[in-house]
Amino acid sequence: MSNSLPTWLDPSPWLNRIFSAAEVQRALGAESPDEKTLAALLSPAAADFIEPMAARAQALTRRHFGRTIQLYVPLYLSSFCPGGCAYCGFASDRDTERHKLSFDQVETELAALKKMGLEEILLLTGERTPQADFDYVLKCVELAANHFHKVTIEVFPMSEKEYGQLAEAGCTGVTLYQETYHPQTYQQMHRWGPKSEMLERIDAPGRALGGGLRFAGLGALLGLADPQFDLLALYRHVRHLQKTRWQAGLSISFPRIQNEAGGFTAPHPVSEQQLAQFVFAFRICLPDVPLVLSTRESAAFRDGMAGLGCNKMSVASKTTVGGYGDVGSDEGQFDVNDNRDVTTFCTMLRERKLEPVFKNWDAAYR
Amino acid sequence: MKSEVRNQKSEVGTQKLILGGVEFTSRLILGTGKFSDTQTMIQAIEASGTELVTVALRRFNRDKPDDDLCAPLAKLKNVKLMPNTSGAMNAKEAVRAAQLGRELSGSPFVKVEIHPNPHHLMPDAIETYLAAKELAADGFIVLPYIPADPVLAKKLEDVGCAAVMPLGAAIGSGGGLSTAEMIKLIIRDSNIPVIVDAGLRAPSEAARAMEMGCDACLVNSAIAAANDPSGMARAFALGVKTGFAARQAGLMPKSEVAVASSPLTSFLS
Repeated sequence: MSNSLPTWLDPSPWLNRIFSAAEVQRALGAESPDEKTLAALLSPAAADFIEPMAARAQALTRRHFGRTIQLYVPLYLSSFCPGGCAYCGFASDRDTERHKLSFDQVETELAALKKMGLEEILLLTGERTPQADFDYVLKCVELAANHFHKVTIEVFPMSEKEYGQLAEAGCTGVTLYQETYHPQTYQQMHRWGPKSEMLERIDAPGRALGGGLRFAGLGALLGLADPQFDLLALYRHVRHLQKTRWQAGLSISFPRIQNEAGGFTAPHPVSEQQLAQFVFAFRICLPDVPLVLSTRESAAFRDGMAGLGCNKMSVASKTTVGGYGDVGSDEGQFDVNDNRDVTTFCTMLRERKLEPVFKNWDAAYR
Repeated sequence: MKSEVRNQKSEVGTQKLILGGVEFTSRLILGTGKFSDTQTMIQAIEASGTELVTVALRRFNRDKPDDDLCAPLAKLKNVKLMPNTSGAMNAKEAVRAAQLGRELSGSPFVKVEIHPNPHHLMPDAIETYLAAKELAADGFIVLPYIPADPVLAKKLEDVGCAAVMPLGAAIGSGGGLSTAEMIKLIIRDSNIPVIVDAGLRAPSEAARAMEMGCDACLVNSAIAAANDPSGMARAFALGVKTGFAARQAGLMPKSEVAVASSPLTSFLS
């Protein structure tokens, strides 16, 4: 079976395990948290311990990241996509007008984002298409690197050599969510297109780091499969990369399906309460890994989670192509639930005694 | 204030810390990351009485004043800036960052900080040595952040560093002086100041470091993550002063066995 999980990634051994309240309590006090700690803290039994988990997560976040929140902003370059991802607003069977930014338009968008004070930018496309291919992404990275200290990409998986070329051009990192690690669900959700090869995607962050990118952001799209399965596999993926790519800067995001464009309904919906528990569990078990929360989540939830496990957030996001500089607009990849601008968001952070950090990298380190 | 001495290791009777020919009255150095806002950071720096603060080049932001850590620090009177190279993966990047930091801040001080694993942030001894050597030759006042390794410390002294800064424990860990025995060896043989950098959680640990013979302490997380950063900055200043005063006064030797009032060897006389 080409799409079965390699043993090092397979979380199955934990899935039939039922944790007791006493085990959760022990996990909360673990001196060296490990996979068992995470399994206990992700378990339903841990829901009753959300408050002590939050307290521990906050203390660890403060210790490792201080009272700061790093900011980044996404820039959608193209909505062309040959992919058949059932949950995605850009899937090829969606009846939506497609756009791609010309290089002049990219410059306009970059200028608009730079004006907002942002210094870390995430460039996005769909899967590899003739409209938005490697050369297009490369050129966009070059343009962005002229303006921004930190340029990262969330595009299509590439070869190690291609990642190397992007690193040369000024790209510092890649975001590559596995979406789901559950093989059957993965096949159901990725109905056609290059993304239907699950293992090819699992290997991609390692290739990116091998090619010279410094940062890799991983994640599972919560709602597609049993979250215990996906999050334990995600943890294994991160630990594997920490051991095999010891210089890698890894981060974890917690994207959650709420209302996708096109009305996709999540088969395993995750509540805010659960999402908070999951973030706290990861903070406790991986205290020094940046945890990211995007504008998919509501303003109230993001406000509450800032500094309480999460230490990095997107801000003022538009998920449409050409959303910032008024160069075009269409339906976004997903619904943004926190529409606040940079100033409003930063005011909220400061009121919560958190410092928004715009620049935490320097082009000198390229 | 300028001094004729380049780098003064504290002996009984010395008062000032001297680094690269610059005299310091305070023996507490502060890091500037992790604070909830610039004002809190500035207040903590002022409360600590420090005369030297380190700031990461990656947090210099000339384009956006409210995100920039460099400019507000540069305005402080009696406080010198020491850019650091945190973020550099190797000597080449650290040298480039140091040069850029000097250009932007005008400061000759540099804290060489190279930790290629961005999670545990342990310093890379090999790359740190290479960068320190090159920067010292280029006229920088070099303070390298290092593993608590007595051999490395001597090699860094030999290539012209102004001080060595061994870690007490991992950055941000609050692990205290977990490397105390190695730091004692470094102090014993060093001709340049020894500054404990990273790991300190409580002012009592800073006092202990100074009692052991450290010349200064560099503290960031313990102050920035405290409920009252200014209060903790004052407490660390006191801890450092107390430990230094105790060292100067001379601690009573420690004895593992009690001295019996009726000597066991009285039969020998």
